[in-house]
Amino acid sequence: MNWELIQESWPVLVGAVPDTLLLAASALIIGFALAVVIALMRLSANKPLWGVAYGYVYIFRSTPLLVQLFLIYYGSGQYRMFLEDIGLWVAFREPWFCAILALTLNTAAYGSEIIRGGVQSVPWGEVEAARAIGMSRSLLFRRIIFPIAMRQALPGYGNEVILMVKATSLASTITILEVTGEAKKIIAATWSPIEIFIIAGAIYLFLNFIVTRGVAMLERRLNPLHETAIKDVSAGADIH
Amino acid sequence: MSETTIPALVAADIYKRFGALEVLKGVSVAAHEGDVISMIGSSGSGKSTFLRCINFLETPDQGTITLGGEEIRIKTDRLGRSMGADQDQIDRLRTQLGMVFQSFNLWSHMTVAENVMEGPVHVLKRAKNEVRDETMALLEKVGIAEKHDAYPAQLSGGQQQRVAIARALCMRPQVLLFDEPTSALDPELVGEVLTVMRDLAAEGRTMIVVTHEMGFAREISNHTIFLHEGRIEEEGPPAELFSAPKSERCRQFLASTL
Repeated sequence: MNWELIQESWPVLVGAVPDTLLLAASALIIGFALAVVIALMRLSANKPLWGVAYGYVYIFRSTPLLVQLFLIYYGSGQYRMFLEDIGLWVAFREPWFCAILALTLNTAAYGSEIIRGGVQSVPWGEVEAARAIGMSRSLLFRRIIFPIAMRQALPGYGNEVILMVKATSLASTITILEVTGEAKKIIAATWSPIEIFIIAGAIYLFLNFIVTRGVAMLERRLNPLHETAIKDVSAGADIH
Repeated sequence: MSETTIPALVAADIYKRFGALEVLKGVSVAAHEGDVISMIGSSGSGKSTFLRCINFLETPDQGTITLGGEEIRIKTDRLGRSMGADQDQIDRLRTQLGMVFQSFNLWSHMTVAENVMEGPVHVLKRAKNEVRDETMALLEKVGIAEKHDAYPAQLSGGQQQRVAIARALCMRPQVLLFDEPTSALDPELVGEVLTVMRDLAAEGRTMIVVTHEMGFAREISNHTIFLHEGRIEEEGPPAELFSAPKSERCRQFLASTL
């Protein structure tokens, strides 16, 4: 183990953390908005809307993110003329744009399924009570269905956030120097993969530690009864 | 029943079928202000469906609902299904029909006070401060003010139902609809909910109560309707209906509930 190399390299890798975070945060925020739309389409009675959403989710969940990333980044180069004509080449020639696009489309597909499950778990009686009090459809969604659905979806969505933080490492394959990209660059110069990847791994571990704690805090805030329920269960276990 | 004013609520000749099953075959009820109408009958007689047709949680296939003189318009879609012609009208009229459900249906992500304030603040757009005062007064009235910060899951069934009643009252409705409000409660909790309902009746609230509590129907309501297989088999003042039912079916039903 080359301690000197570790000491020299870790500030460089930590310096790349903002890039990793920017990739993950952009994809998760845009992806969440898209996921809500896709989930609503999948819950809609409108067949074409349902079909588009179903096909989208099916394709993006069933193909590797790396393949999607390559298709967007390298594939767009093959259609450069066309993309130039419609003015999109400025975006598609940027690896950052392609990486965020691929991550966004991917997380939106998974996220929409998590949200759909949350919406479907909203108790029908609570929806009826809202209708009976005179809520319009949009108010019913905003005030009742969405908040309850998100509470149900939160643990699953927390998982998705963790996966996205890790998935940003794939952006290193299309020249982006986020944490993994920087790591590969240093390894190419030093031939010390163990030291460098240990640092990179530790950085992801730390980031996801923060994510895990954050999601747990949010869960506690949104479900104030959660903790007491857990205590009740363990108290019951003691008795038996 | 006073016959001089326009009735608070008229449901005229209501028909409803679910697939091949015809649940309501022309049921009519008129509630004048201050009326407490109890609806009794065995399960499957259509009494809950009738109540749910009044505020369009189920759309009647035929018939009219008129609230305070305003008729709710119904249209038929391409497939021959009936539906409300104007959703805004239905939403508006629903604000005047307070509904209390068998299974309470409090919103689980909101505290007791938030449940009660939700409709007045977000549907009626009334000022939050004013609604908060009214909410506390109503919670006081149903005897649960000290639980205003609790979540529904922390309350007993009887407490939840009393909150649900406060939630309905805070909308200042013209008519209160009760759909078997005590059927999901443990026997020892039924009394606390009936006490609240008794007070409401004494205040002169207009109420339609679908119930299995024959004692309540007999003592509190001024008009009782016995439903059998989707039709009104017998109706009248409870004193007469309970002590001397004219129809054989009603007599059998009352005998079976004793």
